[in-house]
Amino acid sequence: MEKVCVIGAGSTKYGKLQDNITDIALQASVDAIESAGMQPKEIQAGYISNVFGIADKQVHLGPVIMSNLGIPEVPSLSIESACGSGSVSFREAYANVAAGFYDAVLATGVEKVTHTGTEWTTTYFSYCSDFFYEGGAGASFPGLFASMARAYLAEFKATEEDLAMVAVKNHDNGLLNPKAHLRKKITIDDVMKSAVVASPLKLYDCCPFSDGASAVILCNEKFAKTHSKHYIEVIGSGRGGSPAALQGREHITTIPSTKIAAQAAYKMAGITPKDVDFAEVHDCFTIAELVDIEDLGFFEKGKAVEAVRQGRTRLNGDIPINPSGGLKSKGHPIGATGIGQVVEVFDQLTGLAAERTVKDAKIGLTHNFGATGASCAVHIFKSV
Amino acid sequence: MRLEQAALFTYSKVYKLLAKEEFINNAKVGKVLARKCTKCGHFHLVTTYFCQNCGNKTFENAIIEGKGTIVTYTIITVPPEGYEKYVPYAWVVMKLDNADLRISGFMGGIKSPADLPLGTKAKITGYDERGIIIEKL
Repeated sequence: MEKVCVIGAGSTKYGKLQDNITDIALQASVDAIESAGMQPKEIQAGYISNVFGIADKQVHLGPVIMSNLGIPEVPSLSIESACGSGSVSFREAYANVAAGFYDAVLATGVEKVTHTGTEWTTTYFSYCSDFFYEGGAGASFPGLFASMARAYLAEFKATEEDLAMVAVKNHDNGLLNPKAHLRKKITIDDVMKSAVVASPLKLYDCCPFSDGASAVILCNEKFAKTHSKHYIEVIGSGRGGSPAALQGREHITTIPSTKIAAQAAYKMAGITPKDVDFAEVHDCFTIAELVDIEDLGFFEKGKAVEAVRQGRTRLNGDIPINPSGGLKSKGHPIGATGIGQVVEVFDQLTGLAAERTVKDAKIGLTHNFGATGASCAVHIFKSV
Repeated sequence: MRLEQAALFTYSKVYKLLAKEEFINNAKVGKVLARKCTKCGHFHLVTTYFCQNCGNKTFENAIIEGKGTIVTYTIITVPPEGYEKYVPYAWVVMKLDNADLRISGFMGGIKSPADLPLGTKAKITGYDERGIIIEKL
């Protein structure tokens, strides 16, 4: 297998954006290409992730992006894997470069949904569940994670205030990220007093619906060395699956696909969770971050709350989680999120993270899943 | 397909995939139609073509009493389209008493967690435009 590097990265701001889906995707893609010090003509394939292109009247985004980059002849793959689409796009790009099919490829993720309103997004997002049993019985996405939360709080004697601490921490980080959607300091009291969306989750336990795009350039080591001094290496890549419906899982407070993906990625990288300096994890809801950091092996099952209380996951903690602000504060343009996490790791490990830099970080991890973790991808990166 | 095999629940070109319809008909009378692997005995709720435990392809129907215990739930206040008139309502996950299976569904009339402590006994009472209906016993 070829060694695979990330040599360029770009993101639009996440939030409510005015431009159409194609333009948003192109802005991030062009930034990534320029940051890589390369020409579009050097891209040999594109991996374009998106979920609800239908909302902005554009599906089959791959060829549209490639055409607008002046390379209509270059093959592309348009990818949908719910909220985990971006990391699947990244994985496909990684696998093809690792296999030696291509020297350099583009992976772009994009979403444009905020113009549709809360009812549309709540309804269409519910189509990502196992619809017959979940969305089709009135479960919203916040509702599915709220069900995980209720089980978790009961099993591990945690409180709604504990969940709120995750939101407060991620908002603190997002405040330092100029591209974050919700740049606003909040308190535990703010979270507790926010409107209930799906008990026990309240508005501030939930990530926002966001528009936005992120893009990265992946290439083999030879290409990296001849184009840029600013690059990082992909040292681990893993994917996994879970029963699509929550009812199919024996334990509702753990996400099997995360464990499977993480084990594969750690094994490939030849490291253990202790070697990871920081992680961007899928915190679509506060409960998800607690479950994620246990399933990723940073903390024992049921111990995440204690770690959060002790500040261990804060920017200056021993394992900073979501220095970007995470989905919660940075935002969650679902087709872009998995790529956006890689952009953050790139920025962190190449000295571009400014005020939110994790001190002395050498190894970063990304964790992104689809729906309630029915699909998941974990990637591990090392500074060069 | 030979007659002795016809009694088993095997998905094939001969049998159309009526599983959801059969499932719904059973839910309407308070039962859960599960598929039991003829080789290892593993139960499945989903329309699976191969056993998730052993890979075997042949199943038999198992009609299970739709009674159990609430293991977790949420109370929805911001609903998907079509559920506005039912707010607030619960979406629940119930562990069945008579099989190692959980099933989720809609439960009306739940306004606060005090209305539904974890461990409450419940049963399937029907299926309609709200999905599988589960009510407290």
